[in-house]
Amino acid sequence: MFERFTKDARAVVEGAVSHSGRVGAGSVEEEHMLLALLDREGSRGSFALTSLGESGFRASLERDLAEARRRGGLSRADADALSGLGIDLSEIVARIEEAHGEGALESGGRGGNGRRARRRPFGQEAKDVLVRALRIAAARRDRHIGDEHLLLAITLRGGVAAEVLADHGVTYESVTRVLYGPSGASGGGAAAKAS
Amino acid sequence: MTEATDLAERAGDRDPRIGLRAVSALRRLLEQLEAVQVRSARNQGWSWQEIAAELGVSRQAVHKKYGRQ
Repeated sequence: MFERFTKDARAVVEGAVSHSGRVGAGSVEEEHMLLALLDREGSRGSFALTSLGESGFRASLERDLAEARRRGGLSRADADALSGLGIDLSEIVARIEEAHGEGALESGGRGGNGRRARRRPFGQEAKDVLVRALRIAAARRDRHIGDEHLLLAITLRGGVAAEVLADHGVTYESVTRVLYGPSGASGGGAAAKAS
Repeated sequence: MTEATDLAERAGDRDPRIGLRAVSALRRLLEQLEAVQVRSARNQGWSWQEIAAELGVSRQAVHKKYGRQ
């Protein structure tokens, strides 16, 4: 499927692998793809991001991602849902960090972390981003898969990355508006969203 | 006014999305907590057998999940 990826989309995939390696994660996750997207310059995806984000956008985004990581990768919506059950996530994080050190919840619970990874595998979320990007491109009848499709896929997944992006005004709707204009927002987007 | 807000809140509690999201979040949190505790037990010299017994799972299961770290 990678033959249809543009140079920028490939660079995002490769960049995600290096971001994952840099932080010593056991696999490539959606968050690493977002960081790689933020590295791009002059691409369709970076055009959308710079049009929508204010100055200091990247630093603020990275801060929010780091905070979510510290909560064990749980989003704010997750924390709210848990508080509905009477579970105070921040209290749990504080106690775990007190006993096991700062960032104890960060390293992931998948068990695969820290294994000798000759080839860093893509995690389920990151794979899902790639699959969704294909679908979005197909729904838009785009022959190529660019980094803008990867960005749209992340905003559609509704994970931590999407939540952090939405807090900075980057949503599926706003990205399609910037890329395809007000009319383009309906073109194919609904089909990709429904699937 | 407050009555209407209460009603809205109670209706929200019955929204399956919120309940399901809480379950999913709890499951992910549980995985993270398990990893932290298993790591800590290993660092303190616990055997896989001892850890498995506390978790109520087989030694193989816990070793397969966290071994070779």
